[in-house]
Amino acid sequence: MNSRVIPPAQHQKEPEMNMIELNGAHGEGGGQILRTALTLSMLTGIPFRINRIRAKRAKPGLLRQHLTAVSAAAAVCGANVDGAALGSTALTFTPGAIRGGDYRFAIGSAGSTTLVLQTILPALWFADAASTVHVSGGTHNPAAPPVDFLQQSWLPLMRRMRVQTELECLRHGFFPAGGGEVCAKVAPVSGKLQPLTLESRGEWRATRAVAIVAGVPGEVAKRELEQVESLLGPMDTELRSLPAREGPGNVVMVSLAYEHVCETFVAFGERSLAAETVAQKVAGEARRYREGGAAVGEHLADQLALPLALAGGGRFTTNRVSDHLRTNLDVIGQFLPVRGDISEITPGVWAVDVQPLAV
Amino acid sequence: MRKTVVIGFVGTVLDYVGKGAERWSKWRPTVCLCQQEDQIVDRLVLLHDERSRGLVSRITLDIAQVSPETTIEPREVVLQNPWDFEEVYSLLHDFAATYPFDLDNEDYLIHITTGTHVAQICWFLLAESRYLPARLIQTSPPVKRRGETLGTATIIDLDLSRYDKIAQRFAREQAETVSFLKSGIATRNAAFNRMIEEIERVAVRSKAPLLLIGPTGAGKSFLARRLYELKRQRRQLAGEFVEVNCATLRGDAAMSALFGHAKGAFTGAANERAGLLRAADGGVLFLDEIGELGLDEQAMLLKAIEEKRFFPFGSDREASSNFQLIAGTCRDLRQWVAEGKFREDLFARINLWTYQLPGLAARSEDIEPNIEFELARFAREQGEQVRFNTEARLRYLAFATTTQACWSGNFRELSASVSRMATLAESGRITTAVVDDEIERLQANWRLPGKADALAELLGDAAAELDVFDRIQLEGVLSVCRESTSLSDAGRKLFACSRKDKKQPNDADRLRKYLARFGLDWQQVSVFNQKGK
Repeated sequence: MNSRVIPPAQHQKEPEMNMIELNGAHGEGGGQILRTALTLSMLTGIPFRINRIRAKRAKPGLLRQHLTAVSAAAAVCGANVDGAALGSTALTFTPGAIRGGDYRFAIGSAGSTTLVLQTILPALWFADAASTVHVSGGTHNPAAPPVDFLQQSWLPLMRRMRVQTELECLRHGFFPAGGGEVCAKVAPVSGKLQPLTLESRGEWRATRAVAIVAGVPGEVAKRELEQVESLLGPMDTELRSLPAREGPGNVVMVSLAYEHVCETFVAFGERSLAAETVAQKVAGEARRYREGGAAVGEHLADQLALPLALAGGGRFTTNRVSDHLRTNLDVIGQFLPVRGDISEITPGVWAVDVQPLAV
Repeated sequence: MRKTVVIGFVGTVLDYVGKGAERWSKWRPTVCLCQQEDQIVDRLVLLHDERSRGLVSRITLDIAQVSPETTIEPREVVLQNPWDFEEVYSLLHDFAATYPFDLDNEDYLIHITTGTHVAQICWFLLAESRYLPARLIQTSPPVKRRGETLGTATIIDLDLSRYDKIAQRFAREQAETVSFLKSGIATRNAAFNRMIEEIERVAVRSKAPLLLIGPTGAGKSFLARRLYELKRQRRQLAGEFVEVNCATLRGDAAMSALFGHAKGAFTGAANERAGLLRAADGGVLFLDEIGELGLDEQAMLLKAIEEKRFFPFGSDREASSNFQLIAGTCRDLRQWVAEGKFREDLFARINLWTYQLPGLAARSEDIEPNIEFELARFAREQGEQVRFNTEARLRYLAFATTTQACWSGNFRELSASVSRMATLAESGRITTAVVDDEIERLQANWRLPGKADALAELLGDAAAELDVFDRIQLEGVLSVCRESTSLSDAGRKLFACSRKDKKQPNDADRLRKYLARFGLDWQQVSVFNQKGK
């Protein structure tokens, strides 16, 4: 059985080329291009080779967190991988069939559990069976979206596209100590994904702020929440105080829930960084989004392009077009017969259109 | 996939930062080692003593959290005093000798940031001497200014050639040294350049004797002096450069000149004399034409080289001298050993770094740079800048590089030739006329007739009537005669084998009869050979 989204043969633009070649230094030039390629390769069955991985970075080649994504992807589809070594600047990935099941991945503190999930969840949506995925490591890492973002903002939109995935944070893990754990339960999608159109947010429903402290005085979280409220106005607040052994860590998250979308913004506390400064950072981002007219912010936009392409089309508006988004669209265009267009419809608002290629 | 194994002490100071969540905000070298984005430690061998068991188990848990790929292998050791060099070295030496290194599948790194400075020194010594087949790795705390949070780990490879800047520095230094040995002459002969490069390496690393073989004027003495100056510059020796041509040492005087003598050792030995060997103490002794040294002197010299001790002539008190020997010769010493004229044991002792210096004719591409060198030297010594006219230079070079130019006196002769032209040059220009005269002069000097001509000169018209068979044999015989001092001497050489079977050797007679067949006698042959020389 092979429950690919689209059978590979239909999709190769040039039938004589059975492998996609990617330039790892292109666009954002970091790990995103690799993760997007891994997901699409698993789903389409098309092998790929990526060269010049992170060629323009200070430490070129694969880092640990990239290897983690590669080995998770390989485990999920029984792929043949060549070049998966630290510092390697070229990698060949030949996928097998995606298999549902129980998976456990332990990654170091430098990697992020959410980036691993984002790589493999879309593949498991189309697996032959339901899956349970445990990933231990960092759940709240400044270099990746926190697990709350996936839970509050991304998964609800995915569910609207008929995805059935539950995500639970079993234990928090902050950078650099790690030690957190998340668990995702995935049921395969029945039929096709539902295309998504997200041109406006709809009506405002709620604003909410959560401050988490672990091994950090509760006073810090309290000050952060007070500052966020004073900047954004009254809202629901929650002070989550975790056992010190899950720390040290401190994060403030502000979520703005609307009729069609919920956006989440995050700032991390650091040593020698005042609680107020952390709060100002997250409140500033939330306010910019609140005052803008686009449906989603930068990070959600980055994560929507791929599911839309899998659904065969869709459209959303965003207040920021990042290199990640452009890179994603480029890689998608190499694997799937879709095209992504970005156009600025009003100042500060861009529309991203994903459409099937005209046959 | 090869595994990375790190070996190190647990840091009883740096790794010990308490048990609270705060420990994650402090820099811990051993944890930092396992947190690197660009390196995975597959196994960490953690040396610790009894008192650090608790620390090791805490660190093990923390590392499992940040680096699930890492297996910790605790090794409890007994260390009374981690600041005691002998104890630490013995401990680590034992570790190196007994650890089951699997070099086919694993790469080893020694973490030097933890442990005492004594431990650091011992790790270094063991890695450098290859007792530990490992490279060193150091961790360093995060630089906040650069936005770092974890700290970094850097591998220190003791193979210095892997570092571009260091390698460049060495290459530059070596090029300078090689150029120094060649006196800055940009020689073009590839074989010669290769040889000098090897001599450079040997010279800076070895105190063993050097043997320079080459015809007279090939630059043996010059090179020996340069080698000495090089070593002196590098502070490898403090003594003098002592040079002597063994051909000038004869009889008792030879012994005394080389090894010195005690007061009253022989008639006329009114005072004690130190001798050349002692003068070269801590320096270089260059014995040119070592083949000419008498057998007794050779025996003494061998003892002096091997034991650095010898008896001065007539003395019963041993003297000592520590010198590096450079020997020069134009002889085939191996042949001389076979003939019993050179001691085999001494030859074996000096025939370690043996270099054949080619004559100038064999290095014709180096003639031009040497002309430049000689002109520069003339300018330096005479204070007068002399140049060739273009055509004159071409004409001289054309002649100097033909096979006709045999340069029997080699570089010495070229030097003399250039000096002559420079001296005769009017207003600093060497003209074609000066060159033409010089070419004539050289041709006259080299009027070593060609072989065919030699026989013609000796035999007159009769030479043309000789069979090739006889001609070849006669030429060979004549060349042995040229190297011999008398008819008997030549005869001994020519009949060296057959004479052994005879009760009464009659080589001289055999040779006389042979020469007579061509109407020749020894007198004629030796007069002719004198002219040839």
